[in-house]
Amino acid sequence: MFKHENLITSILKPYSSLLFLNNKYMGLLLILITFTNPSVAISGLFGVFFTILFAELIEFKESYLAQGFYIYNSLLVGMGIGFLFSPSLISIALIAIASAFTFMFSFMLNRLFSTYKIPILSLPFSIVTMFIYLASLKYSNLLSTLVNNASSFDIELPLIISGFLKSFGTIFFLPSNIAGLAIALLVLYFSRILFIMAVSGYYFGIMVHSYLIGSYEQALYNPYAFNYILVAVALCGVFLLPTWKNYILALIGVAISVMLTDAISILFSYYSIPVFTLPFNITVITFIFILSSTYYKEFNAEIKSSPEESLSNYLSKIFRFGKTHVKLSLPFSGEWQVYQAFNDEWTHKGEYRYAYDFVKTKDGKTYANDGLYASDYYAFGESILAPVSGYVVAAQHDLVDNIIGEVDRINNWGNHIIIKSDSGFFVEISHLMQYSLTYKVGDYIEANAIIAKCGNSGYSPEPHIHIQAQYLGVLGGFTQEFCFSEYIQGEQLIFNSVPKKGKSLRAVIKDRSISSRLHFILDDVFEYELYKNNIYVSSVKFCVKMNAYSQFYLQDELGNELYFYNDTKQFYFYNYQGEESHLKWLFKLAPRIPFVSSQALNFVDYLPVYLVKSKLQSVVIELLSTLNQNIYKQEHHYDFDGRCIRSEYGKVCLESANKALTLISYNHTELRRKL
Amino acid sequence: MEKLAYEKPTINKIDFAMASKYGSPINTQKVRTEIDGISVNELTEKFGSPIFVFSERKMEELYNNLYSAFSSRYPDVQFGWSYKTNYLNAICKVFHRLGSCAEVVSEFEYQKARALGIEGKDIIFNGPYKPYEDLKIAVQEGAKIHVDNLFELDDLEKIATELGIVIPLAIRINMDIGVYPQWSRFGFNYENGDAYEAIERMYKSKKMKLVGIHSHIGTFMLDANAYRNATTIIMQLKEQVERDFNSEIAYIDLGGGFASKSNLKGIYQSTDVIIPTPDDYAEAITNVIYDLNKSENLPKLYLETGRALIDEAGYLLTSVHGYKRFPDGKKGYILDAGVNLLYTSTWYNFNIETDKHYEGENEPSLLNGPLCMNIDIIEENITLPPLNRGTVLSISPVGAYNYTQAMQFIRYKPAAVLIDRGGKARCIKEVDDLATINYKEI
Repeated sequence: MFKHENLITSILKPYSSLLFLNNKYMGLLLILITFTNPSVAISGLFGVFFTILFAELIEFKESYLAQGFYIYNSLLVGMGIGFLFSPSLISIALIAIASAFTFMFSFMLNRLFSTYKIPILSLPFSIVTMFIYLASLKYSNLLSTLVNNASSFDIELPLIISGFLKSFGTIFFLPSNIAGLAIALLVLYFSRILFIMAVSGYYFGIMVHSYLIGSYEQALYNPYAFNYILVAVALCGVFLLPTWKNYILALIGVAISVMLTDAISILFSYYSIPVFTLPFNITVITFIFILSSTYYKEFNAEIKSSPEESLSNYLSKIFRFGKTHVKLSLPFSGEWQVYQAFNDEWTHKGEYRYAYDFVKTKDGKTYANDGLYASDYYAFGESILAPVSGYVVAAQHDLVDNIIGEVDRINNWGNHIIIKSDSGFFVEISHLMQYSLTYKVGDYIEANAIIAKCGNSGYSPEPHIHIQAQYLGVLGGFTQEFCFSEYIQGEQLIFNSVPKKGKSLRAVIKDRSISSRLHFILDDVFEYELYKNNIYVSSVKFCVKMNAYSQFYLQDELGNELYFYNDTKQFYFYNYQGEESHLKWLFKLAPRIPFVSSQALNFVDYLPVYLVKSKLQSVVIELLSTLNQNIYKQEHHYDFDGRCIRSEYGKVCLESANKALTLISYNHTELRRKL
Repeated sequence: MEKLAYEKPTINKIDFAMASKYGSPINTQKVRTEIDGISVNELTEKFGSPIFVFSERKMEELYNNLYSAFSSRYPDVQFGWSYKTNYLNAICKVFHRLGSCAEVVSEFEYQKARALGIEGKDIIFNGPYKPYEDLKIAVQEGAKIHVDNLFELDDLEKIATELGIVIPLAIRINMDIGVYPQWSRFGFNYENGDAYEAIERMYKSKKMKLVGIHSHIGTFMLDANAYRNATTIIMQLKEQVERDFNSEIAYIDLGGGFASKSNLKGIYQSTDVIIPTPDDYAEAITNVIYDLNKSENLPKLYLETGRALIDEAGYLLTSVHGYKRFPDGKKGYILDAGVNLLYTSTWYNFNIETDKHYEGENEPSLLNGPLCMNIDIIEENITLPPLNRGTVLSISPVGAYNYTQAMQFIRYKPAAVLIDRGGKARCIKEVDDLATINYKEI
């Protein structure tokens, strides 16, 4: 059976889900608001109740129910029935039947839709309610319970405002401006972006509609105008990120939904069926279908509990970890120079523009002596290191290294290797030295392993390394945009970027002694002695835990959670949940620890706004960053020498013999590892 | 115009092919006009001929390349400068400045290191022959003694008793790593249990304890995998000893043997092709340490690289004294440097470069040294353009072993020059004279 807590969340959540938010307190307040029409409120609750009951009956897995849409569709259906008939034994029986059907129908649609990565939204509700309303034309037994929905709660407001509020209320079958006002205020409190989109969507839709039908008032009286709100919110904030571009997309969506609403209402009114959310569903599903299948860049891949949180999560991610998941390490060690970058003058053009060429130079020259022999070139014979971990899918190493001045125009890729990275993309490296390959097709290569020597085979005027990322594992496959996950330029360690042409850069070779110190295992406990101004205060413990999504975090005794990840080249923190604490400071002190120790380096990291700014400031920054994403950038500088990370906040140190951080120091506070 | 000297006519085959599997014939003249910006002619004029020239920049580059290949992968790496490779004081000083400690194999080298201001604790004392008195001094001064045989262990036990201390020791082991010839002459064998027995004996005597394990698998190792195997065995022994004797082995020493870019005779590929890169060696060794380390601490890693750090930084400049035409038509040049200065000419084909581009057809030539000995041949068959008397030839790489093993034989031992980081040449050893040779003669 359900645990109490879960049951309550399962009931409360669907209410906030209807507004694309995820907050149980909001759910509770929304339930209270629905009671302005008790028939709707009670029927809605019955809808939820019967769905959970039915799910239990068929021994449905609890975790499925956590995904709101199985329940909120039933909630809507319940409310829809309550909107038509006041609760009676017969109507409740009808709700029970409809809930079970909605639940199964939702499941079926979801199975079908998820193949294409599209949500079912409230489509099951739209369809099921259509059936119910059609059927109810025959149910004379229920006629006695028909509800009079003329709201008795309306307040006097100008139509232009009242219309908006009523539409808001209508989402919950409460077409009264008071209920709408309450809901609107709730939305404003939980998400400014959502509120702005609701306003923009509604009035833009009204504008379009009034132009088309020629009456402003009629447009405002349209009972289905709430579709505009839902479309706008869904397209700019929920399924797509709240950005300028998506704002425009949302308005286009709204305009489409205006047309759909009218079209459907003409058809449906013939059978006395309300349009409900069908225009919204059709519009949004169509948009998402195309945008998700074309890998639209501003798609919200990770929907959080509010648009603000989604945006914040997205921006943190791109600033800290780059826009692309196609990340490579440099394919060499030591210092090399970029000879050709992306889209460069000689061969990196068109479909082959995403490639890099590297040469080794000394005093501005790539060769010693007169450069007449391949062996005069500094690059020739240097080790090539695997840029990713993965399987070798193709390789050739029997072509001769060209004499300087000649190129092989037939086998222009020369000796090469193609590796299928663990993340799915392919990496091709060209112009390897003859017979220098140490792996064969089918072998698994760890990133940084030595795979071959730099040579001069293929279309190569002088020894160099050519590297590119590809969509396919075939020689000559089209290239794909990528970035280098880390490299050193001067004393700066740069993450997830692409170096400019002519720049000298050094590769980061993984120092396993650092990674092993940060290899935390579930239930590891790290105890620290807390000193303030060098006076012992108490002891502090951090424990390594894992959540249901296999995300690891450090937890202190107060339950604050600091999420970390151990990448192949670095350790980093990426999420914090809780109040002010040592763990929150730890995030600021060492947002990432690169596994590199050979020299003193500095690097820049971008901390999430919630970490460094007050709540009010965060609200403002999050809102403004919808207009300009750079506002979100909280740039912080760190120095790292392989032992300690220093910054304006303080320092954090590692020790060679011991696991975890041995010293965390900030603001006269010191945590010293107790061993 | 100067009148050309008469030369007896000869018939030579001229190769017209643009390129063949032997390379391109057009560019076969190898020219070296300068070393680190100083003309080779200027060097011989100023410091005499023949002369050894060392480039500090190159030494630094080789050191940094190899060191960073290791240090970027492993946190605790220490290089020990192998004195025998080249113990000219100025050369040793460069490596000490770069961070190397000293690795010596005799009492003489030990004294040399001490005289250069290296403390006992920063000297690794290796080798099969360590005289008792000198061993005792090394123990007292806290040197890192690497035990080679049981007799030495006896000596050390005696010294420990005399001094009333427990001596921290490292053991040199040899093992089968799949490379032949197997270097089993030095240290204790691993497979037959000698190594373990020697360690057991140290702990039983309670006068010695093991702090390090050392191996040196050979020289000019062309396969980095050999180091993988050697490191595996060292790490296995380390774990066994730590477990059995409840002790901690603080360091491991993989010795040297990394190849330099010299052309080994009998190998016809380019050095770039067959010689492992610093990354190859570093990856092989450090990965095994990480994979097999069972103790809390990672062991300190010592390397005693000599050749790979100095060979390519050394040149021998020699001048053409004259030439003659042999009965078979081959041209023979007489140089002022011979095998007395090029000990390694037995194993390596040197890179021989002229001081400028010479006109005329390349022809097969032979390079002879100044010794009145039939064996004094530096290069038996080399194609060279006609050279004049006074032409300066650069012979490289000769930084490793050639100077230390150069003989005073028939001629005086030549001077040596170091071109420092700033590009200035400075004499670091003058040419010998009669007094040097007669010194200590009675």
